[in-house]
Amino acid sequence: MNYTNPQIVEAARVLKARQAESADKSDILKAVELKALFDQIKTLPPEQRKEFGQELNSLRRELQAIADEHKAAAEALPPIDVTAPFDVNATLPPLIPSEQGSRHPLSAEIERVTDIFYRMGFGVVESPELDDDYHMFGALNFPEGHPARDDYDTFMTVQKDAKAKPFVAPAHTSTMQHRVIKQYKSNLDNGEPIAIVIPGRVFRNEDIDVTHEHTFYQLEGVYVGKNIHAGHLIATLQTYLSEYFQQDLKAKIQPFYFPFTEPSFEFAVERPDILRKNDSEEQKWLELGGCGMIHPNVLREAGVDPEVYTGFAWGFGIERMVMMRNTIEDIRHFESGKLEFLRQFS
Amino acid sequence: MKVSINWAQHYSNVDLKSIPTSELLTKIGEQLGAVEDVTEWGSRYDNIVVAKIVSVSKHPNADKLNLCLIDDGGVTKDIERNSDGLVQIVCGAPVVEAGMIVAWLTPGATVPASVGADPFVLDTREIRGIPSPGMLGTPSELGLNDDHSGLLSIDPKEVGEANVTPGTPFKNLYGLDDVVIDCENKMFTHRPDCFGILGVARELAGITGQAFESPDWYLNAPKFESKPTTLPVKIFNDAPDLSPRMMAVVIKDVTIKPSPIWMQAALTRVGIKSINNVVDVTNFLMQLTGQPMHAFDYHKIVDRSSGDAAVLGPRMATDKEPLTVLGGKKLTLTAQDIVLATDQEPADLAGVIGGGETEVDDKTSAVLLTCASFDMYAIRRATMRHGVFTDAAMRYTKGQSPLQNDRILAHALENIIKYTGGQQDGDVIDLKSYGDRVFGSETFVHEPVMVTPEFINVRLGLNLSVEQITKLLTDVEFEVDVVGGELEINAPFWRTDIEIGEDIVEEVGRLYGYDKLPLELPARSLSATVKNPLLEIRSHIRTVLTRAGANEALTYSFVHGDLLSKVGQDASHAYSLSNALSPELQYYRLSLTPSLLDKVHANIKSGYGSFALYELGKTHMIGKLTEEGVPQESERLAVVIAGTQQQSAPYYAAKRYLNTLLHGLGITATATYQPFEQKDDTNTYYASARSAEVLVGDTVIGYIGEFSASVTRALKLPAYCAGFELDVAALQALAADASSVYSPISRFPKIEQDVSLQVPAELPYADLYGVVRSALQAAKPDDTRVDVEPLDIYQSDDKSHKNVSFRVRVVSFQRTLQSAAVNTLLDQVAEVAHSQVGAKRL
Repeated sequence: MNYTNPQIVEAARVLKARQAESADKSDILKAVELKALFDQIKTLPPEQRKEFGQELNSLRRELQAIADEHKAAAEALPPIDVTAPFDVNATLPPLIPSEQGSRHPLSAEIERVTDIFYRMGFGVVESPELDDDYHMFGALNFPEGHPARDDYDTFMTVQKDAKAKPFVAPAHTSTMQHRVIKQYKSNLDNGEPIAIVIPGRVFRNEDIDVTHEHTFYQLEGVYVGKNIHAGHLIATLQTYLSEYFQQDLKAKIQPFYFPFTEPSFEFAVERPDILRKNDSEEQKWLELGGCGMIHPNVLREAGVDPEVYTGFAWGFGIERMVMMRNTIEDIRHFESGKLEFLRQFS
Repeated sequence: MKVSINWAQHYSNVDLKSIPTSELLTKIGEQLGAVEDVTEWGSRYDNIVVAKIVSVSKHPNADKLNLCLIDDGGVTKDIERNSDGLVQIVCGAPVVEAGMIVAWLTPGATVPASVGADPFVLDTREIRGIPSPGMLGTPSELGLNDDHSGLLSIDPKEVGEANVTPGTPFKNLYGLDDVVIDCENKMFTHRPDCFGILGVARELAGITGQAFESPDWYLNAPKFESKPTTLPVKIFNDAPDLSPRMMAVVIKDVTIKPSPIWMQAALTRVGIKSINNVVDVTNFLMQLTGQPMHAFDYHKIVDRSSGDAAVLGPRMATDKEPLTVLGGKKLTLTAQDIVLATDQEPADLAGVIGGGETEVDDKTSAVLLTCASFDMYAIRRATMRHGVFTDAAMRYTKGQSPLQNDRILAHALENIIKYTGGQQDGDVIDLKSYGDRVFGSETFVHEPVMVTPEFINVRLGLNLSVEQITKLLTDVEFEVDVVGGELEINAPFWRTDIEIGEDIVEEVGRLYGYDKLPLELPARSLSATVKNPLLEIRSHIRTVLTRAGANEALTYSFVHGDLLSKVGQDASHAYSLSNALSPELQYYRLSLTPSLLDKVHANIKSGYGSFALYELGKTHMIGKLTEEGVPQESERLAVVIAGTQQQSAPYYAAKRYLNTLLHGLGITATATYQPFEQKDDTNTYYASARSAEVLVGDTVIGYIGEFSASVTRALKLPAYCAGFELDVAALQALAADASSVYSPISRFPKIEQDVSLQVPAELPYADLYGVVRSALQAAKPDDTRVDVEPLDIYQSDDKSHKNVSFRVRVVSFQRTLQSAAVNTLLDQVAEVAHSQVGAKRL
């Protein structure tokens, strides 16, 4: 560091020399000379204060850095041979017994769910954890001013994209709809449908409790082809759910609203035996998620002619089924990193 | 949205009451949306009958109690009666007199207001020595309103003479024999009309296949009368973009009192508190049509206006402008809020809540009634900004059609005059600013939608005829004309959601019934699905690490700035949230390892003495964007091992996991570990001289190491802790490139011998191993295979040197080897090692 103020140049010389000799390198930060120089700042004419103060602070930082470095070196353990397979005078460290290992129940669930869709002929693409306004809203037919677009619901970054809009922590895996339709558009030209499911981690700006998390997982499905109708949607979901629950189950849809599908539905499945407590009406159906026929504006935006092709999409959460099947009482366990939770799975 | 079936029936030409409730609920669930709750009001009034008080006398043993003889027409069974057939009841109400018509809750009845909370079932009780069967009810006990000051006195003029005959079931009065269905609001997001019972009644007709006819007063524009002005008013609109229609009228000579019992009871059933005969009318019509209104005290507006006239209209608030609203809450407004204001000060937060100083009260003699429209998004933001959520705001956020304001104002005017005895003063004022029918980006009444039956049928998988489609749509008052092969469809004025053919598809599908759609899977060809390689490698990683006893964790993608600084990462490289829930979730993480380290201490404290945590996830760093211009994501794997027992240096345990992983993934290329100098956000936290970068070929695939003293201290890590973090995309590429390392199995026996070499302590093991290995390869006899593996590394106490032992296995594919040949081989190797790295054979 080159200091220009003669007083500080001199102080730097003296203090550094003393620090070099001293055993405790941080003692120097309490030196009376240093304090005197700091006290001197307020006696200086205002126009000199800034430069003097900056240099003095630099000096203190320099001394602090030397002290820190010595401290780190003193605390540091001796070097080891990082190229060796094991330590000197030691054997190869053991692995933890296999039976203590576990997959996270949410990863295991996503693998299980995607496996069923693979078998049904769907490809799998993952959604990002940081996306832009266009994919999250614009391409999905959310009008400007739509409530989902304000930050009461959706996390946004301080950093902006090329259009000066904040990046977005996706609140739903639908943020991939536009991309997959565009990416697999050539399937349509080859007479093949677009059939993709999209698992992903999504985020909502909401306070957490036993049933609410700001971070959770969803699976989105997209199917586009010729003459695709709402009956195909219900049948597809019904097939998936029957396979998932290993039981023939009926699926049903009821009216709903999403900007990116028209018409939009919620879908429910007959409660499988394993999750059914009694024969009451409330126990009859299990509501699972949203779905609908892909809005023509979404198809058009991705370069697909909605007069020629139609398609459906759906989405559902991952956590709920895992919680129900395992009777997990608190959704916050999933991201807790607690071994008491993790080791209960396989 | 609470829908009273009685109420819906009153405004419907279709017989709804005869449809069994269960059937109605199924229909609503399938064709309108989810039902949250159903309340059967009628059964709450079982065993409650209309009775007439015949005489009243003092209770002999209590000052404040009376004995009433009541006439129930003799309908109540198993009850003690006097010789005239009258029943004696003890009554504590302040006002009770002969001739009053009352509601008698007979023994066995449940107090209606207690249903749902703590049901109170009546019987015959002795009160101060005199038996009293059941009780006479107050309006509050009967669930009609909040009034518990005295008995309900039934007014024959209100309910009709026929209904006051003693013994009449009480539920026959006031429309109490009702079912209230609470429909989930979400599905009506784009259906402002369904936030009114009238809209739901229309849908109920449609889904039961019957043609609905809206009441004339709603369907047809009213003709307002012109009256002389005695109470001057000036209405302005200074926010025409966000308030497309502003209507107002003055009603003078009003008498403020409670509204009729039936109206109070109706409001109570749908969860709205009864206020007075003016406010109740506006709330009643809001519940009926979805259109909120607001009534001001005319004179309070005049007092807050500059001149003698009441001046009022929408304008944007100014920043920090104060407003006290109903209930006394003080708001600080912003320039984005719309207010209805006089020319001096705001009078209410438009569309959200009325002002606290301009409300109609008992002394009000003239009312300024307004019916306005506001931008739905502006109202939504105002509710969120101020944390004020009202029935009116909830409706305004759906975007009601401004074309219905005149109908509703006219109907409100008529009813307020009827219930307050007031009269219209001056003209009805109507400021429209939707001009070309466009409001913001939303067009109110759309161009007709042209659509073919095929378009609809393809999307529903149906084969409906033109006639069927026409009937479904006209049942809910669409206009349908057949033009050529196409349907020309005009949506009614209250529908703001019909723009394109797909909207008609929804309408037709829903009204026809989604349960009737054909269930068939899309026809597919038999090409194989391509598996996603990233998901596949992740699954393989999980399999390998789980088998190695490690536990997969998932932690948040967002971390605290403190965590970044504790591990020496630069927060300015991390994306940060502008609206984080808390500082703990402020930054997108730069690497996964710190998140896992953050979980170590708690697990140690919970008693776990030895564990390995791993996480697969994405990290983000400012600066790298994809071709699409979105942040580049990095696919990472982090592993952290920790324990309470200090064995050897934990670095080697991490390394064993890493090597186990590479082997398990079938990655055959050799990984090398070397010290590194270059610090960045993915390796700042490692201890120098006890960490390494991991390379395969020339590519750095990640870092491994123990953690620095400052990180260990800051995160309370145990002494035995190390970890690594790798680039999963790199692993995926390596696994894809892996070639087979199989070599045939020889049928000859292998010879195994050990060699120990003493080298300077500072010579890296890898250097010695490399020398030994290449020497073995160079010197081995033809057609043999040689394997070498480390056995032991001994270091002397003075750390001057170390002895490294290798086990060498040699096998020939041609013959049985003699140990002499192997001895020679090892001699040669030792010689090379000596000359190249100064090793001494032991």
